[in-house]
Amino acid sequence: MNRPFSRSRSTDDSPGRSRLRTADRFRTGLGGLGSRPARTLLTALGIAIGIASMVAVVGISSSSKADLLAELDELGTNLLQVRPGQSIFGDESLLPIDAQSMLAAVATVDSTAGVTSIRADVTRNVHDDDPYGLGVIATDGDIHSVLQLELEQGRAIDRRTQELPVAVLGSVAAERLAIDTLDGGPTVAIAGRSFQVIGILRSHPLHPDLDRSVFVGHRFAEVQMGMKPNHTSVYVRARPDRIDVTRPILARTANPAAPNEVQVSRPSDALEAQAKVDQNLQNLLLALGGVALLVGGVGIANIMVISVIERRSEIGLRRALGARKGHIRSQFVIEASALAALGGTIGVGFGIAATYVYASSQNWTVDIPAPALAAGIGAALVIGAVAGLYPAAKAANLDPADAVRPHS
Amino acid sequence: MIELRDVVRSYPGEPPIHALDGVSLRIDRGELLAIIGPSGSGKSTLLNVMGTLDRPTDGSLLIDGVDTRSLSERRLCALRANHLGFVFQSFHLIESARVIENVANGLIYQGVARNERLRRAARALEQVGLGDRTTTKPSKLSGGQRQRVAIARALVSEPSLILADEPTGNLDSGTSDEVLNLLTDLNREHGATIAIITHDEDVANRLPRRVQVLDGKIVGTTTTEQVAR
Ligand SMILES: Nc1ncnc2c1ncn2[C@@H]1O[C@H](COP(=O)(O)OP(=O)(O)O)[C@@H](O)[C@H]1O
Ligand SMILES: [Mg+2]
Repeated sequence: MNRPFSRSRSTDDSPGRSRLRTADRFRTGLGGLGSRPARTLLTALGIAIGIASMVAVVGISSSSKADLLAELDELGTNLLQVRPGQSIFGDESLLPIDAQSMLAAVATVDSTAGVTSIRADVTRNVHDDDPYGLGVIATDGDIHSVLQLELEQGRAIDRRTQELPVAVLGSVAAERLAIDTLDGGPTVAIAGRSFQVIGILRSHPLHPDLDRSVFVGHRFAEVQMGMKPNHTSVYVRARPDRIDVTRPILARTANPAAPNEVQVSRPSDALEAQAKVDQNLQNLLLALGGVALLVGGVGIANIMVISVIERRSEIGLRRALGARKGHIRSQFVIEASALAALGGTIGVGFGIAATYVYASSQNWTVDIPAPALAAGIGAALVIGAVAGLYPAAKAANLDPADAVRPHS
Repeated sequence: MIELRDVVRSYPGEPPIHALDGVSLRIDRGELLAIIGPSGSGKSTLLNVMGTLDRPTDGSLLIDGVDTRSLSERRLCALRANHLGFVFQSFHLIESARVIENVANGLIYQGVARNERLRRAARALEQVGLGDRTTTKPSKLSGGQRQRVAIARALVSEPSLILADEPTGNLDSGTSDEVLNLLTDLNREHGATIAIITHDEDVANRLPRRVQVLDGKIVGTTTTEQVAR
């Protein structure tokens, strides 16, 4: 039997130490959870719901964006559109007649297509004067290959048919004109003339304006309808790796005399902007998930306070066994963090599952960023630790003499 | 080895309660003594003060001649972890932990590694006659067995002083004798200094020295020799 203080030593000598090994810190912290499995699970559920919703939001939006970006890649971010802008006097300017051929001659340009918009009403027949709000676009046919427009039915305008009174309908135009089949040789009236419909296009996500248009032959419009031959839009497919150097020189190339009267844009930018709008929605949903987490954290704090009251005698015992306040505090902080981490892990699982279910119902490829998962569990840990601070301090500050007394 | 000098412990109130009202007591190494008194006389308060779980409002507690008022909270914890053992009337076992874990907890705040703790806990359980119940949950044990587990937890750290607060209070007379025998054996065979609080005359009469407490004061001390005379 050893003596607490030997008389030969000064009172500053330690009578041994009170210390808790790191492994035992975790063991005591986790011990409390296993003994009340149902309560542990129910409490963890609050955090689980918060984390699950956040992971699902990030996962679903990232999966949808993955698809959008894949779509963008397919449609091509290398497509540029060259249009006349306004002159310095505010008049609408024109592209030079040879703009398309000048653009086609640029070394980093793969292909070009020029179209001309016509101001004309489109109706179902010549006697009908109720316009459908559709645009008319004259093309010589190269637009199909350059923009990768696909036909739903029939055929496209080409070099030969561009001289004839024929029309190809964009998907929305066909719908509005109530033409869903080429059987029976449907016709439409443009500027009082009748045109034979020879094709209907599929919808194209990058060009909603073309969906609302009716295409006619460039040559026919020029010769028979008195259209100015200047293009109102030249689509330029640049070499994908040279898009950045190509874009700045297009205005100058299209109209060397007045490059400032030329507008160059990239249609895919609009889709990308759409993805940015989704970002706002995502932030909102993330904030909602954050609120759920906060509620979960309050739930943990709540249950920990109850646990401290219930385990008063255990706390008293531990103090009697030599535990320091800090040992008691860390036990409860670890317990709260573990509770939250359990919730976080369950939540990450649910979040992944929800993402899979939703993404596959939308036929998206599942894409869940790994940092989001780590952040989910990390956030849970932090919330648990914070939620545990107050109950842990309460436990640590219990008067040991009081805590070892039976009840009260 | 432990000495109280004019210890007062009062609780604020109208009027204030003097749970201990000028207690002076000296316990020597290797002693086995009973602290006896009716309910509410201040016995538990006295034990808590001796065990440094409570601090005197006035007066001093000396352990090995060192005044505990000069010790930091941290060193008092160290003192409890390394030199004191407690046994409570209501056992204070952790129900969700196995018997051997409960006993091993007697060493956990000394920083003893788990394997070593379990080894020594098994030995302590052997010592209290529960070597075959190590993996049982406390709830499966009888009251007497539960108290023996608590005693094993107190002695596993080989403390200089064991403080037992009504260790037989919740037990019938048969098991009460068992537990008492265990404590007296510990004193005789291992030289442990033991203070047993009780309000039971029969229990007290089996111990060599008895300190009588009433209303927070020591009102008498008897030894077996005196009784025998
Ligand atoms: N925390 C406390 N606050 C107020 N009074 C207390 C407290 N603890 C004990 N007492 C009072 O101190 C007196 C002695 O109590 P206690 O030491 O538990 O006596 P015993 O163990 O002999 O029954 C009692 O009157 C009790 O009500
Ligand atoms: Mg008492």
